[in-house]
Amino acid sequence: MTTLPAVSARRRFTDRFMRSLTLVLTLVAIVPLVLIIYYLIKEGLGAWSVDFFTTDPTGRFLGNPGGIKSAILGTIVMVALASVIAIPIGIGVALYLVEFGKQGPFAKVVRYFVDVMTGVPSVVFGLFIYIVLVVSQIGGTFAAWKGSVALALLMLPIVVRSSEVVLNLVPDSLREGALALGAPRWRVIFRVVIPSALAGLVTGSLLAVARAAGETAPLLFTAAFVLGTQFDLSQRMNSLPLQIFNDVGQAQDRLVQRAWGAALTLVVLVLILSLVARLVQRRSRLA
Amino acid sequence: MNPEDVTSPPSAPGGAAPDPVTPKAETRRLEVGGARDEAAPIVQGHAVTLRGLNAYYGDTHAVRDVDLDYAANRVTAMIGPSGCGKSTLVRCINRMHEEIPGARATGEVNLDDLDLYSDGVDVVSVRRAVGMVFQKPNPFPTMSIYDNVAAGIRLSGTRGVNIKERVETSLQGAGLWEEVKDRLGQPGIGLSGGQQQRLCIARTIAVEPEVILMDEPASALDPISTLKIEELILELKRRYTIVLVTHNMQQAARVADTTAFMLNGELVEHASTEKIFSNPDDERTEQYVTGKFG
Amino acid sequence: MSGEGRHHFQEELKRLEESALGGIDLVLEQLDRVLEALEHTDIELAQIVILDDDRLDGRYLEVHQGILTLLARQAPVAGDLRLVAALLHLIKHVERMGDQCVTIAKLIPLSGYEPPIRREILERILRMGRAARSEVVQARAAFGARDVALAEDLVRQDREINLLNREIFQLAIEAGEDPDTREWAMHMTMVARALERVGDNAVDIGEVTAFVVSGLFREFSDSSAPTLPT
Repeated sequence: MTTLPAVSARRRFTDRFMRSLTLVLTLVAIVPLVLIIYYLIKEGLGAWSVDFFTTDPTGRFLGNPGGIKSAILGTIVMVALASVIAIPIGIGVALYLVEFGKQGPFAKVVRYFVDVMTGVPSVVFGLFIYIVLVVSQIGGTFAAWKGSVALALLMLPIVVRSSEVVLNLVPDSLREGALALGAPRWRVIFRVVIPSALAGLVTGSLLAVARAAGETAPLLFTAAFVLGTQFDLSQRMNSLPLQIFNDVGQAQDRLVQRAWGAALTLVVLVLILSLVARLVQRRSRLA
Repeated sequence: MNPEDVTSPPSAPGGAAPDPVTPKAETRRLEVGGARDEAAPIVQGHAVTLRGLNAYYGDTHAVRDVDLDYAANRVTAMIGPSGCGKSTLVRCINRMHEEIPGARATGEVNLDDLDLYSDGVDVVSVRRAVGMVFQKPNPFPTMSIYDNVAAGIRLSGTRGVNIKERVETSLQGAGLWEEVKDRLGQPGIGLSGGQQQRLCIARTIAVEPEVILMDEPASALDPISTLKIEELILELKRRYTIVLVTHNMQQAARVADTTAFMLNGELVEHASTEKIFSNPDDERTEQYVTGKFG
Repeated sequence: MSGEGRHHFQEELKRLEESALGGIDLVLEQLDRVLEALEHTDIELAQIVILDDDRLDGRYLEVHQGILTLLARQAPVAGDLRLVAALLHLIKHVERMGDQCVTIAKLIPLSGYEPPIRREILERILRMGRAARSEVVQARAAFGARDVALAEDLVRQDREINLLNREIFQLAIEAGEDPDTREWAMHMTMVARALERVGDNAVDIGEVTAFVVSGLFREFSDSSAPTLPT
């Protein structure tokens, strides 16, 4: 009859101790998150109404403060433009790195710069565009499109990084198989590599979009602030982060509450985008 | 034993009974050598000849000065220990070798009279003429069975082809039609390993190549799928010239008309399969096939 | 195909060859006995030879089974394949040689305990027997050493046996009027024929030796006859 040594009491204690410790740490991390969500809902839900979503802020201290329609629309427009700029370029850079540059010296330099860019604080992007485009008075002073460019700069390294990862996951055997059939390089990329990586590319882009939607600093000195809804990109445009920024500092409670409502709206927007990204990923895995 | 049994014809070695309509291409010869006895080719194949082929990975000299003839409508097996250069050599035939960064090849690879390495020859067209089947089946995951087979036609930009017909012919040629004809819209990766490999073969022949290179096509498959692939190869050679890289010597023995043995980048011996496995000339070949090294 | 697997295989192959060649040793034993039985008309000894053939048949089956097992399990190729095929031929010839000895042994009692012997015939029979024995020994040596030259030399020795066979036949015809003597002489021609067959089988073993080495199967020819085409 074989006998194995029994579990020592000391080991049992250590196991339990580690279990409890990690549980405590997890709770410590979750508590603030839960609190944020709690406050968002508690303070912000009260601000939601039909008027809230359908009227522009009036800028009045007394009387009706208005809603945040222009902010929502502004965010959507500017982020959409930023995406149109950043996503194709970002995927293009990723394609270069994965398909052509690979481990070459130039590719290594590009990758280094992209890594650096992910660490740049968003306010720096805003400042950069402020100096290059706003102060220099190219196409007027503050303008929505300049805000989009700043956002695009922010999105670019995120898109490049996530796309590169996803494109690298496409097995070389697929590329080999397509090449061996007599396909020119570009067809291999567009008909085989990108379709295979599509779900991941979409997910990565959506997450970059979600990030951009919530950034305040790049828009502060570029698209600036305006009350009314307008779609002229060469003029100032409102946005959710800026609306929040403006309202939070006000003395009136109604305006502060509007800020909470806007914050809740922003979080819900980001949540929806993340959920869509998750769904896309799951659908592609089941296929 | 019943008297009736004696009258039924014995099956020929190699499995398939000879086609009663097509006459035998040649009578059996007493001397060792020559092709296995079977039905005549359906499509006249093309010969590939290598002259002075050298291949490099950077500074590593992987294939050394090889002269080799692949006869039309025949299966030639390439055997040798790991790292002997057989896969590299085969990848030079369809010019896939140069896709690897730092890799290059010199010498001649002649498809009939045309040197595939001469100036002005388009690499992409080479690969349409010389198809390749890989060790691990690699159907395109985002495409259905139908689209996978059609992929070759579409990716290579071939025009004026009735795709539906070509897909059916190719799947039949790969021995897969009956199994998938009712589910052509389903994803290619949903098939079993053996079926996936036959799908890849269908995809390769859909482009109507002249030569088919096979790099250990059955080594990732179970024994029954392996035998199916081998039977398929014996059928395919009636239309194509086939080069088969294999580390499984019994497979080379079962399937190949001639066998080439490589060692350290050099071609040691190339002769009929019967000769290589019963009485090889070179001592190194003898040592390798009897398992005394490698 | 690991080095390990082949090591066991090589061992098995060696044992099989030793077993087959050991069959030749059994044949030599039988041959010696039967020649002694002939010389002294020893009917009891002849009986022992007949019974002892079972050992040779057993050896044949043992080697045959060993060959089948090796083919089924090890898929031998090239030199190994030729050797396995050769052993199959070899053990068949060994079994035949054993049967020839039994044939001779069965002929001995037919003429009774005190047969009318003709000295010149018996002397030639014994010479044939010794020549056949030496051929068998040489065939064994040639195969064991894979010595093709030694194998080809068997043809020379075999000529001597054929010569003696013809002489015995001639003498038997002139055996005289006595029916008993004539009967004995007839039996002796049959003995001679059996011994000649033993020699042929030994030459065949020589041809099998050449096959193992060269991969070609060809008939060794008598230098007096034109070479057969390969």
